[in-house]
Amino acid sequence: MQTVPTQAPAAQAPPSPPPRPKKRRTPRAIGASASKHTVLLALSVMFALPLVWMVGTSFKTAQQALQLPVVWWPQPLEWRNYPDLFAALPYFRFFLNTFLYAGITIVGVCVSSSLVAYGFSRLRWPGRDAVFYVMLMTLILPFVCTLIPLFVMYKRFGWIGSYLPLEVPTFFGSSVFSTFLLRQFFMTIPHSYSEAARIDGANEFYIYSRIILPLAKPAMAAVILFQFVYCWNDYLGPLVYISNQNSYPLSLGLALILGDYTTNWAWVMAGATAATAPIVILFFLTQRTFIQGITLTGTKG
Amino acid sequence: MQTATRPPVRVGRANRMGRAIRSPRARRLRLGLLFISPWIVGYCVFYLYPFLASLYYSFTRFTGIGNPVFTGLANYSGLLHDSMFHTAVFNTFYYTIIEVPFSTATALGLALLLNMKVRGQAVYRTLFYIPSIVPVVASSLIFVWIFQPSFGIVNALLSDVHITGPAWFFSITWSKPTFILLGLWGLGQPMVIYLAALQGVPKEMYEVAALEGASAWSRLRRITIPMISPVILFNVILSLVLSIQYFTQAQVIENPPGSPGTSTMFYVTYYYQQAFQDLHLGYASAMAFLMFVGVLIVTVVLLRTSSRWVYYENENR
Repeated sequence: MQTVPTQAPAAQAPPSPPPRPKKRRTPRAIGASASKHTVLLALSVMFALPLVWMVGTSFKTAQQALQLPVVWWPQPLEWRNYPDLFAALPYFRFFLNTFLYAGITIVGVCVSSSLVAYGFSRLRWPGRDAVFYVMLMTLILPFVCTLIPLFVMYKRFGWIGSYLPLEVPTFFGSSVFSTFLLRQFFMTIPHSYSEAARIDGANEFYIYSRIILPLAKPAMAAVILFQFVYCWNDYLGPLVYISNQNSYPLSLGLALILGDYTTNWAWVMAGATAATAPIVILFFLTQRTFIQGITLTGTKG
Repeated sequence: MQTATRPPVRVGRANRMGRAIRSPRARRLRLGLLFISPWIVGYCVFYLYPFLASLYYSFTRFTGIGNPVFTGLANYSGLLHDSMFHTAVFNTFYYTIIEVPFSTATALGLALLLNMKVRGQAVYRTLFYIPSIVPVVASSLIFVWIFQPSFGIVNALLSDVHITGPAWFFSITWSKPTFILLGLWGLGQPMVIYLAALQGVPKEMYEVAALEGASAWSRLRRITIPMISPVILFNVILSLVLSIQYFTQAQVIENPPGSPGTSTMFYVTYYYQQAFQDLHLGYASAMAFLMFVGVLIVTVVLLRTSSRWVYYENENR
């Protein structure tokens, strides 16, 4: 999938049979290829511009940000926005809160979703598929349909204001997406592996933990990544349950800057850049896992 | 774990068989349930119970303090006459009916374009995908800045060609379309999924079609779309369900939420206001249940009609 086609952009054009000299490209094929790239480049610019603009603005002074005609890339770069912003808002605190939230839920998801996914894929039991559909159904259940009773319940537990309402459910298979992803992956592992182990007398938990999980490392990596990105992004969950500014995750903290946005757009964009850069870098480092993970859940729906 | 090192398997199995008289079937069921037990507990506590409780609250007056007071259908008839509720339904409908087809078509179009064996496919794919992992709050801030009425880049560029740009997020007419643009920017996920699906279509089908002299358009209509239609269906359902619940971006950007006028008062925006600001928990629960009914109807209709346009290669999925 990662392999970039090395040659022959004109492959689909001629209806003629295979023995086709590779070098000869008709003017028409070249034209088609050029127009394809023109379209793709134009689209790329449209997709990339907002990010370029964000980073560019984050290196401007407050005045430069408002300057017309537009300055794309300021000379010299104004680095001060970042330290200033970090001093004005407890950003490190926000980062720390986000990392804690992500870390704990990653543990929860890895443990519970893998067990549940195992039960839905490597074991055959009566009613399995029906129960699996019940689980998939929860994907389309709007979150508002459970929000109020959950809030009332957590209030009774004394959990409001903490991350517990967002963390505890992940230990009980609340991430249907991860369970689904892992199930899809587990199903690709040949059953003969389990059979062989069973004949040797291994019990099911042993097969799960010592045979299947080690084989499922790529899928687990995808689950960890997605959960991390999910927490990094999550705005709604913390908005409902977290009220103390010191406990804010990055998403809520970032939204705070908009409160005084008229004062300094360079700051706002510095904040946006600080929140975006880590996740984009992470994506570049783990692109393969990312794409494979999406593909695994998406195409076999 | 110990069983692995214990050679005579027979003993253990005989014992278990002795206790549970009914064949391996019951044993398999028990084992399966054991593995999914975390989810069963989670489902009951975090989905089933709250769902039923929310349904019950929808027939009550409830402020979160004290006990809910049963009021029958009062909340529902209240919604029937609540013009803000109608506005919220309309705004959400507006957003959904435009956003879903547009984003589906765009994502599919990009995937088709990338699937045409272009050089540098991976680079383009990455470029198109990245906006979708930008944190929601960050992308909202970026778009507020880009579409800022007086200093934003969009209006600056428009004024270069002597067009006075609208106030975008802060214009009653333009606010929703601007949110749709923001949504379109982040369609990387479905695009990657469509691309993977396209790459799974057997090449021979195209070769045969080419031999028969099928045009590009008819190859698309007769081969490509049918072959990936299950994936399209799945993604359309997901994006419908998500856009009906549209909330976060509007909440971040619009202050007060729902402004300008009531043009960005989406369903969940209004729900959130009723539930967490006005503490009309019963009323909000009625809204939630109606949304559930709506989502259910949309999903069932899509699945029912899907047999007409969705093609399953082998029926056992």
